[in-house]
Amino acid sequence: MSTKDYKERIELLQGTLDLLILRTLRLGPTHGHAIAKGIEFSSDSVLQVEQGSLYPALHRLIKRGWISVEDGTSENNRRAKFYRLTAKGKRQLVVETSKWNKLAGAIAQVLRPAGQESES
Amino acid sequence: MKRRERMLRDLDQDIRAHIEAETQDNIARGMSPDEARRAAMLKFGNVSRVTEDTREVWSLIWLEQLLQDLRYGLRMIWKFPGFTLVAVLTLALGIGANTAIFSVVYAVLLRPLPYHDASQLIVMNETTPRVGTVSVSYLNFLDWRKQSTAFAQMATVHQVGFNLTGVARPEVIRGLAVSPEFLSMLGVAPLRGRDFTAQEGNAGTEPVLMLSYEMWQSHFGSDPNAVGKTMSLDGRPFTIVGVLPPRFRWLDKLDVIEPLGVLLTNNADIMERANRGESVVVGRLAPGIGLAQARAEMDGIAARLAREYPAANDGYGVEYAPVRDAFVGDSRPAILILFGAVLFVLLIACANVANLFLARGATRTREIALRFAFGASRGRIVRQMLAESFILAILGGALGLAFAEGGIHAMARWIPSGMLSGTEVNLNGAVFTFVAALVIVAAFAFGLVPAVHSSKADVQSDLKEAGRTSSASAAQRRLGGALAVAEISLALILLTGAGLMMQSLYRLRAVDPGFRTERVLTLSLSLPSQQYSTDPAILNFWQRALDGVRALPGVEIAAVGTAVPLGGDHWRTDIVLEGMAELRPGDYPHPDMHIVSSDYWRTLGIPLVRGRWFTAADDEKAPKVGIINALMAQRLFAGSDPVGKRFVVGHRAKKENWITIVGVAADTKLYGLENPARLEVYLPFRQAPFGDMNLILKSSVAPAALTSAVREVIDTIDNDEPIAATSTMEQLVSDSVATRRVTLVLLGLFSGLALLLAAIGIYGVISYSVAQRTQEIGIRVALGAQRSSLMSMILKQGLRTALLGVGIGLAAALGLTQLLKSLLFGIGATDPLTFISVAVTLLCVALAASYLPARRAMRVDPLTALKYE
Repeated sequence: MSTKDYKERIELLQGTLDLLILRTLRLGPTHGHAIAKGIEFSSDSVLQVEQGSLYPALHRLIKRGWISVEDGTSENNRRAKFYRLTAKGKRQLVVETSKWNKLAGAIAQVLRPAGQESES
Repeated sequence: MKRRERMLRDLDQDIRAHIEAETQDNIARGMSPDEARRAAMLKFGNVSRVTEDTREVWSLIWLEQLLQDLRYGLRMIWKFPGFTLVAVLTLALGIGANTAIFSVVYAVLLRPLPYHDASQLIVMNETTPRVGTVSVSYLNFLDWRKQSTAFAQMATVHQVGFNLTGVARPEVIRGLAVSPEFLSMLGVAPLRGRDFTAQEGNAGTEPVLMLSYEMWQSHFGSDPNAVGKTMSLDGRPFTIVGVLPPRFRWLDKLDVIEPLGVLLTNNADIMERANRGESVVVGRLAPGIGLAQARAEMDGIAARLAREYPAANDGYGVEYAPVRDAFVGDSRPAILILFGAVLFVLLIACANVANLFLARGATRTREIALRFAFGASRGRIVRQMLAESFILAILGGALGLAFAEGGIHAMARWIPSGMLSGTEVNLNGAVFTFVAALVIVAAFAFGLVPAVHSSKADVQSDLKEAGRTSSASAAQRRLGGALAVAEISLALILLTGAGLMMQSLYRLRAVDPGFRTERVLTLSLSLPSQQYSTDPAILNFWQRALDGVRALPGVEIAAVGTAVPLGGDHWRTDIVLEGMAELRPGDYPHPDMHIVSSDYWRTLGIPLVRGRWFTAADDEKAPKVGIINALMAQRLFAGSDPVGKRFVVGHRAKKENWITIVGVAADTKLYGLENPARLEVYLPFRQAPFGDMNLILKSSVAPAALTSAVREVIDTIDNDEPIAATSTMEQLVSDSVATRRVTLVLLGLFSGLALLLAAIGIYGVISYSVAQRTQEIGIRVALGAQRSSLMSMILKQGLRTALLGVGIGLAAALGLTQLLKSLLFGIGATDPLTFISVAVTLLCVALAASYLPARRAMRVDPLTALKYE
């Protein structure tokens, strides 16, 4: 394996989590725990987010201007940070989604006949 | 930064809220509170790592990485002291040489001239095909100024000299007589006092002057009340009206400036149109006018003036030079060639350091591969290696500055001031900026290639094999070889240039100047016309001086003469031969005129070709006689004997002034060893009394030791009479080739450095290759290869590299030595002998540099070599 693949794998994972966060916030502003739950829930618990890794990702998105943060109160009356999708973030979500669809489609296409072919 | 702090401040609380929410959820799912909390913590992961990772999102990652890279680089530099020392020293030599030469380039070619908008200032001379550049006639200047619209302003600048008298030690003062608007046109205001007034441009004005800043310091101790005081020049009191600002300079060195009116008052002959003294005209182009437009207009004006006053102007044109070019003169090519040469040296130095990096990169392949494996990106590795090169380059630059500081002091003493056009060479802001730029460029030049190269390492194979025999190291060897080839070609170009210069200087010094220089001393004196207003007074002075000097112990023979060969200024005028047809004004013979005493030729060792020398009998009462040189005899009296023929000086001279030729002297190189002889006429000093003469004496002792004795002799005749300049003939000859000599010595120094660096480069490449191939060589030995064949294998490798470098270098040198043409003498820019000997020298050096590693290869012990892996 060359270094190139290695690097891209990391980026892929990062990008995916970002996409999922953006997608979850599309439904409305919410706090960190709710985002984690939302991702688990909407993927029928297939995607288990290591909840801690959410925070570097959230801050990365803030830094890029795709989401904003504000103080709020959670459903059980606790003070919490609420994350909100910005206009820029909405546009980015569209871009990322289409990119992801293309990638997923391409991978699916590659994988379908792969099992039948002999290795060279 | 603010945003970062705000974002991170609430992070802990946010995380706590998150875990709390998860715990609540778990409790709702029916866990006990403890269990619920533990599960929540587990699901969240390592809180401190999350915090750290989040912080990193907001940190200035590049800055932290840069610091990290620099720390790492410093560690590496510390870890390989030998490598560091060689690299830094190599760079310091390259950067130091560049800095020193750039400081000259800056001082001469780039430093802003101390005038307002100097690019608009044009210096003008008159020019005639027969003589070349001559001064501008004052009346022509007045017409130019009146008729030209392309120039907003125009001023004339005359060179004048005075004897400063009424002081303990009389001295010669150099000055300018200028149009009153000269300074304001340059945009220069006096530091103290006032500028000249318009009236002071007219004849009849009171004698006033402005002091140069240096003169004000040295002669008036920077006295704030110097303005208003008087100064006695040539016995006349001048009122000081101002002091020039420091760093003011003009084409010639100057001590004082007087308004033109003062010069006009005492020199009525300036008002003759044909009189061209020692002057230039400087003009400021009108706004929006370029030199080409101004030239077109001025050429038209000059042509009209030539038609209007053919006697004075026929054949004369105008010569234009931006004031910068007038300052730089003909030293530009030498300076630029030296600058090019040091850049080559720096390139070689960079190639050498790059090679060192490559070789060391190979030993670090495993380390770099490991870093890749741990997830470092290629960009990061390149950055890291670049950080290392930067540290080296900065160290090299700092040491180079120290070298340059020493070098500049040595050069300043040693470069002829004419080559520097009177400016001061020093380390200054511009030079420091240049060094900083060099450091950056050098760091990239020697760092980038090896860095990128190393970063291409193949992780898997490098980890397994440490790159010892991998393809990566073969590529590395090729790259190293290419760098060595480049070094050799650059060194060859420099050596060829130096070789050509050396032969030029050698051939120039071998030229017979036509006079002997051994133990000859010359002293120049100028008798002020106020005190020496009659011919008997002048003759009396020179006769007494001659008698006094001849009586000095150690003086073998002495003479006076208006001109000293190679001394610079000469007086030329038209002559008319008896029986010659009427000619066009520009077509008369125009020889150099020398006024000499009878022992002039014997003192200077100039041989007599025919006829006789002057004798004491050729005095003011005797018939007028003259001596011509061999070239003139050949040109004007082809076939016939000139002795006994007659001529007059000037065309309108009265016929009773016929001068009879009594002898023919051999030709001399009056205007420099490389210049052809010119027509020369000698007149006896008693028949043509003249105030400005040189005492020339040949001694049996070291000539310089006589200076003070001569000074005393002059003092007994007139203790107000200064000696302007003292020089031995040997010094004059040496000065006349000074620019060439300095260029040669520096070029020689740089090419020697280049040769050394290139030799080290080849040695490095071959050594490295031998080290890499130890195993292969061991196998060859084990299989029974002859040791001598191993040796020749390695030597051949060195020779191949050298041959390639020499080939490329020769091709490039063929083109580049053309740039040297103006500095060469008696040798072509493509002299085959020089090219061949330089090529052979380089090949020998390359072989010698390969020999040491080759011997090492020969001694490889197969057992050790094979166990090595």
